[in-house]
Amino acid sequence: MNTIEFIQKIRNGEIDPAENIARVMEEISKLNKEYNHFNMIADDAEKQAKNINLKGRLAGLPVSVKDCICVKGMESRSGSKILSGYKPVFDATAVRKVREEGGIIIGKTSQDEFGFGSFSSNMGEGFETPLNPVDKKRACGGSSGGSGGITAKISFPHISLGESTGGSIASPASFCGVTGLCPTYGRVSRYGLIDYGNSLDKIGPMAKSVSGAALMLEIIAGHDKNESTSLDKPVDAYTDYLQKDIKGMRIGVIREAFGEGIDDEVSEKVKDAISRLEDMGAKTEEVSLPLTMKYGIPAYYLISTSEASTNLAKFCGMRYGKTEELEDGFNKYFSKVRSSNLGEEAKRRIMLGTFARMAGYRDAYYIKALKVRSMIIKEYKKVFKKFDLLASPTMPSIAPKFSDIEKLSPLQQYMMDVLTVGPNIAGLPHLSVNAGELKGMPVGMMMVGDHLEEKKLVQAGGKLE
Amino acid sequence: MTGKKFTSDVVIGLEIHAELDTDTKLFCGCSRKAEEDEEPNTRTCEVCLGHPGSKPVVNKKSVEFALKLCLALGCRINLELIFSRKSYFYPDMAKNYQISQYEIPLGEKGELAISTGKPIGITRVHMEEDPAALIHPAGMRESSYVLVDYNRSGDPLVEIVTEPDLASAEEARDFMKQLISVLEYLEIFDIDTGIIKADANISIKDTRYTRVEIKNITGFKEIERALKYEIARQKEFKDEIVQETRAWDSEKAMTFSLRKKEVEEEYGYIIDPDLTITEITKDWIESLKKDMPELAQQKTEKFSKEYKLDVQDAQILAADRLLAELFEKVAEEVDPVLAARWLRRELMRVLHYNNQEVRDLVADEKHIIELLKMVEENEITDATAKEILEKLVENPFSPKQYVAKTGARKIADTKQLERFCEEAISENPKAVEDFKAGEEKAIQFIVGQVMRKSKGQADPKKVNEIIKEKIR
Repeated sequence: MNTIEFIQKIRNGEIDPAENIARVMEEISKLNKEYNHFNMIADDAEKQAKNINLKGRLAGLPVSVKDCICVKGMESRSGSKILSGYKPVFDATAVRKVREEGGIIIGKTSQDEFGFGSFSSNMGEGFETPLNPVDKKRACGGSSGGSGGITAKISFPHISLGESTGGSIASPASFCGVTGLCPTYGRVSRYGLIDYGNSLDKIGPMAKSVSGAALMLEIIAGHDKNESTSLDKPVDAYTDYLQKDIKGMRIGVIREAFGEGIDDEVSEKVKDAISRLEDMGAKTEEVSLPLTMKYGIPAYYLISTSEASTNLAKFCGMRYGKTEELEDGFNKYFSKVRSSNLGEEAKRRIMLGTFARMAGYRDAYYIKALKVRSMIIKEYKKVFKKFDLLASPTMPSIAPKFSDIEKLSPLQQYMMDVLTVGPNIAGLPHLSVNAGELKGMPVGMMMVGDHLEEKKLVQAGGKLE
Repeated sequence: MTGKKFTSDVVIGLEIHAELDTDTKLFCGCSRKAEEDEEPNTRTCEVCLGHPGSKPVVNKKSVEFALKLCLALGCRINLELIFSRKSYFYPDMAKNYQISQYEIPLGEKGELAISTGKPIGITRVHMEEDPAALIHPAGMRESSYVLVDYNRSGDPLVEIVTEPDLASAEEARDFMKQLISVLEYLEIFDIDTGIIKADANISIKDTRYTRVEIKNITGFKEIERALKYEIARQKEFKDEIVQETRAWDSEKAMTFSLRKKEVEEEYGYIIDPDLTITEITKDWIESLKKDMPELAQQKTEKFSKEYKLDVQDAQILAADRLLAELFEKVAEEVDPVLAARWLRRELMRVLHYNNQEVRDLVADEKHIIELLKMVEENEITDATAKEILEKLVENPFSPKQYVAKTGARKIADTKQLERFCEEAISENPKAVEDFKAGEEKAIQFIVGQVMRKSKGQADPKKVNEIIKEKIR
């Protein structure tokens, strides 16, 4: 039963939402002991189920939410010990919209601390690492690893709210073999999202199917007067595009994304998927994005860490979250709280970002990175004059084993984002769909659309299922 | 300070923060107006408390207020409003960064003249949010802990940075007064509840202009006190003066050192990625220009040119917006010079005596006009008018009806006046003799007696004439 059929049955009264959710909670509690896809499982899901909007477009649907997205009254830690005990006093706008349409929040999914990672292996102190639903020795991808993992593993209809800064929806979608739809920057309100890099962060759906992701995007997209960067543009009926054919659709195949550093077998699987699109009438042509592929990673890491280092300053054990024993002046106290409760990668990115915006270095790093971003956007915009969509593998490989991840230097880890940072830094919508299997592991294919062209992603992505 | 070559004995530049009188805070919907007896930390929300996930939205009204100030100071206005994050750790900061402006301020390169006419350059005007208030329960330097009240957190501030054009403590005070007058004229600042604070950069020739910064001076009287103290200190300790940051302790009337070695402060500014760039359109500026009131300096000029007031009277009337507006209404009906004299001297004297300001005045311009018309037309004496004015400050009434009822009209009957004069002359032969002997002043005594007999309703000028005539 797919998600849309399930919701229809709830609305018709054929399925009782409370009975269903009880079974869902039982399953995820059991799964979580094995896979660690949740940082927190809701204890009020059955209560929620009794008060839902039965006419809503998500009536009775279990929805999991990445830990960095605030849920009122539910501990929201963004995967960090420093936010222990923090229960937001408000729902994120996306969560509010889900509730209004009858969705049931079942828990907070696990992630890299504050989103700082590509595998969900940079866990905050005291957090369990989510395991790949196909092979527990492998990573889920990140940073929305828990969302990807549970979406693949759960046997019930369900959608997850993930979040991407530099590829955090596409990566776990690819490694776990599900659909991840990262919208245009500003399409979904960030209100209530615990920030990583505010000019890059996007909330988006992860689902078993493109139709589920399209449905969820219809609901969470739209203008929010409380969020200055949210776009005041009409929201398309994305699900209507599932049925539309792709005859004559122009798809650019990114040359650099099939070259050096990309697993050959992964490339082959993705090329197969592209030829399936060709069979359905799409016109493909090779295209080059030299600037994006060369400078995307450094620009992304400079901008995101500059912003992150200011965002994380507020966590100092004073107003909420983890506290320590009060002694000495505020400076020493803040340092103690931050030193003992932030993880290694969080500290690394704070230091990197602080350095990049310091007087004397600011022009060479932070300001220059902003300029590079503008040039990358221009490069994409030029390409989209000729193409409807761009296609490439999502990740350079299948989900790696934890034992292999341990051997990677931070820089080698950052290079795993080489294919996803482009659309993320340019604020472009992108979709990762499963393109096949390799050694039993899923292989993701990524398509990128022009700003606000999510509908084309749905249109083409749906054809590969 | 810029790289200007200094020549004066004292060089002062100011950075002034003023709170804008908006209804709500700069980035959230919380009220900016304190309730009476409000509890700490009650006028707050997730945005001004800096909770994770909350996001700011710019209050457009506060931008308009700041734009009006830029226009009044003749600043060049930048057409894009860009906010930046100024990062530093401090317990009064909800987010450990302050949303402020950096590279491109709202306004630049303005000017404001002090009362001597000397122009003071305005380097920049920018907007920022106020941090929370820190409460030191046992005094600023003694307390072992502080309490934080976020009711003020997120209030809209404008920062006005001057060029180092001020050459004395008096000029600094004068500048602050002029600036407050502008803020009040624009109705963007509430003098009763609004906070206005200055940081001053000060150096003197004797120390080869070693720069000392004094933080957090509240109000224009304090700035003069603080700077006078600091100038005296620098002159006394010439060679020992080092570049440093000091604070002003108003109670102890002294400055004290906060940080010695002045390293360039490091704030790691980035553009605030939660806020989009607000476009400031030419149309918006034009519509604000149409709304701009006449300011004190324009009014001073008008009063002295059109109404022929002397410059000092004109300045005093214009400095207070409400007094100036009252004067303009009264001067439409009554001789401006007479109106100016009565408003600036007598009305102000009576108000101050009652501990009142112009805004507390219960009587309106109609009452004042009625009263001064009677003075102008010689229907009542100055003494009677003053008496009525004193009563008008307590509660409003019609001066005309009052005069009719109490018979306080000036004695116009010459025969009655002559009778009073004759009585006074015969009762005071000594004074008459003195006057005849050439002692001009003696006549004043006799006039005084007549005034007493007439209960103040005689015209002293006329009495003077009659007495002189009768004695000769």
